[in-house]
Amino acid sequence: MLSYVVRRLLYSVVVLVAASFLVFTFVSVSGDPLAQLNVIPNLSEQSRQNVIDSKHLDDPIPVRYGYWVNDAVTNQFGTALQGNRPILPDLWRVMKNTLQLVLVAELLAILVAIGVGVYSARRQYSAFDYTATTFSFLGLATPVFWMALMLQVLVVQVFEHTGYKIFPIASLSSIDPGSGIHFALDRAHHLVLPVLVLMVASVASYSRYIRASMLEVMSSDYLRTARAKGLPERQVTMRHGFRNALIPLVTLVALSFGNLLGGAIVTETVFSLDGMGLYFVNALRANDPYPVMAWLMVTATMIIVFNLVADIAYGYLDPRVRYE
Amino acid sequence: MQGLGVDKRSIALSVLAVAAIGSLVFGPAAPAGPERTSAGTVVFIHEQEPPTLRGGWVDNSLLATGLVTNNIWYGGQIYDGTARLQPRLFEAKPKLVSKSPQTVSFKYKASAVWSDGKPVTCEDWKATWRVFVNPQFNVVSRAGFEDIKSVTCNGKAGTIVFARPFAAWESLVSGGAYAAHVIRGKNMNQMFNDAIPVSSGPWKFQSWQRGIQLTLVKNAHFKAGPAMKLDRVVFRYILDTNARFQAMKAGEGHVMEPQPQLQIAEIVNDRDFKVQREPEFAFEHIDIQLGPRGHPALKLLYVRQALMTGINRQQLASALFRTLAPGLPKLDNLVFKPFEKGTYQPHFKKWAYDPSKVISILKSKGCTGGPDAPSDTNTAIFSCPGVGRLAFRFFTTAGNQLRTLAFEVIERQLKSAGIELIPRFQTAGTLFGGTLPSGDWDLIMFTYGGGPDSKITSNTLYSCGEDQNYGNYCNPKATAAFNAATREFDVPKRHALLNQGDAQLAVDLPSIPLYTRPKFVISTGGLTGAVLNTTSEGTPWNVATWQLK
Repeated sequence: MLSYVVRRLLYSVVVLVAASFLVFTFVSVSGDPLAQLNVIPNLSEQSRQNVIDSKHLDDPIPVRYGYWVNDAVTNQFGTALQGNRPILPDLWRVMKNTLQLVLVAELLAILVAIGVGVYSARRQYSAFDYTATTFSFLGLATPVFWMALMLQVLVVQVFEHTGYKIFPIASLSSIDPGSGIHFALDRAHHLVLPVLVLMVASVASYSRYIRASMLEVMSSDYLRTARAKGLPERQVTMRHGFRNALIPLVTLVALSFGNLLGGAIVTETVFSLDGMGLYFVNALRANDPYPVMAWLMVTATMIIVFNLVADIAYGYLDPRVRYE
Repeated sequence: MQGLGVDKRSIALSVLAVAAIGSLVFGPAAPAGPERTSAGTVVFIHEQEPPTLRGGWVDNSLLATGLVTNNIWYGGQIYDGTARLQPRLFEAKPKLVSKSPQTVSFKYKASAVWSDGKPVTCEDWKATWRVFVNPQFNVVSRAGFEDIKSVTCNGKAGTIVFARPFAAWESLVSGGAYAAHVIRGKNMNQMFNDAIPVSSGPWKFQSWQRGIQLTLVKNAHFKAGPAMKLDRVVFRYILDTNARFQAMKAGEGHVMEPQPQLQIAEIVNDRDFKVQREPEFAFEHIDIQLGPRGHPALKLLYVRQALMTGINRQQLASALFRTLAPGLPKLDNLVFKPFEKGTYQPHFKKWAYDPSKVISILKSKGCTGGPDAPSDTNTAIFSCPGVGRLAFRFFTTAGNQLRTLAFEVIERQLKSAGIELIPRFQTAGTLFGGTLPSGDWDLIMFTYGGGPDSKITSNTLYSCGEDQNYGNYCNPKATAAFNAATREFDVPKRHALLNQGDAQLAVDLPSIPLYTRPKFVISTGGLTGAVLNTTSEGTPWNVATWQLK
């Protein structure tokens, strides 16, 4: 197992280097980060040249990539072109915000999905099962941005008709969020709609996996044996069936979590949440390669790590799986 | 319940969880809106968060920064709602003492003080000048500052002597000044990243929760003008357009200054909101490439005349802004705007839309292959002697609904008269960073910003050999007029020179003026006093008069 992990980590370094070079190249050739200055009359050429010199914007892309690697390693990703601010503090801030959003959404989604999936499997072809199946497909088919917009419109309609705003439309906190428990409650209140939006697709997907997995496990020989031994149905289902049915979900959740840590781009954009996704979109819009690269490195690392975690967890949970 | 594996403890936990979620929903909800936060707090919803508070810098030239800092680095004079300079920190208007050498004097009010109690003096202005002429500091523009020879201070009073004449001296002198005691010895390229410690204006910086909001509070030391009635103004940054408008409707903000966006049409008839709209100084136009990388046909005046005559500019303005800004006039001058009464001369008016005339112009020059009469279904395109087919690459920014619609209207109009446009939509970064300066385009549509005193920049845009004359237009007559305008102190004479240059542009047609962009301010019924300002001062220019009902 140890040699497998070390080998995977070494592969990951190669993947990171290749991905970072490709993304740096694509972002760099996609446009001039100082482009908007060209339509400002009386622009100071001296000032523009200062920035070009300090960021090596006139050098070939491989050379600029080398400067970036040096900056990333020795200077905590350096500074952004826009605002000339250090990148790392901003990245930490948005990572924390995204983590809050994703953690809550994923935990709730897993809980709901397990409930729905297990019950659907136990009551296969019942009214509940058909209803859950229908809503799962609806959830999978509904675009995230549309769902987010509809929820916002709903909140506005309620406000216009009753004068009460049940949830905030956008942002992460109120004007005066307070501190301690008040701050936590205020943050939770602001995250309700985004969490709901993120949950819909996750619940739909996870519940289908759980249902399928449970159905497969429930018809297996060892459960028939357990029932034949006279074990109560609850014990058969929860102890022997459910635990084994969870194995594929662990893999799925680990992979999904790694992806989401890069930011729920659409959700964060629509709700103007100061997270990784919005950070990435803003940097890309500004043609600023340096925050984009920092984002990429964090996101790619998360995906690699959680892929590895998924593999290890799978091997740990299922003794039949052995890594060489 | 037993069969489902649910025990009493699980039920209790579930009830607690439901109660917790319920408390989130119903607890903080209460009657919504910013009113509940503080009686004296106005929430300004804005679409863009400044990266730093160091505005007018190459790494941050966003208007969003000016919205915050204009009332911190307060001007000696500011542009009011009618775009006229009015004294604020200055005792009176600055004076042109001598024309040769150009010498200007000004004096700050005795009551002008920084929020830390120190007086605002000429030394602050002098320190600001030194920042702008320091080649190590990355200011966006040094125009005017680099023409100054010396600044002599005597307490609140100052005398500026220019080495070269600078016509727009009044707005230059009237700009906001940094606090000398704050910036002394500092690397300005790193200053004001996260906060500004002092203020000479009606509000001062309090806090900034990045990604969420920036809070400004009343400056109790401000005595040089009317004080703010409000306790504070909070800029809430909501970057998504739909979310911004929904947030306004949901009572999360009092005022916003949106770009011309279709969502405004949804709110314009809502009695809960007041929508102000005025044409601003920024204008949309199409530049024509006359250099070696453009289509050879565009070097022929008659082709440019055909283009000019083939675009129905009034219909375009009406189609784009029918609901947002009905009655928006087309633009007939590349220097002055229709609302600048007394100086606006519609030189381009002579190029009235006439597709039949387009066809007759082209046929009279021997062009063939086009239609005999204008037709919406026409597919025949003219070819002209020595320059080939009249099919032009038309560049503009991608992802802008108004520009996409504008292209469709213009393309249809020209095609009906036998001229083809080939769409080239690019990201702003590619368009302005690569394409525009390269000169490798035929026609390019974008907006030039501007202000009441920016007209002399026509010199940099249309004079021979200037860096930002991307269309490579050159006519010594126009260049002479625009150059002379930059040195003419007498305002009526300067305007006459600029109009002289514009009249030549209307003959040579290096550019097609389309319309001035409308500017919008949306406020809720609960806020009074917010008045649209068409200059870069922004809506908070008169924040002292803002009040909540």
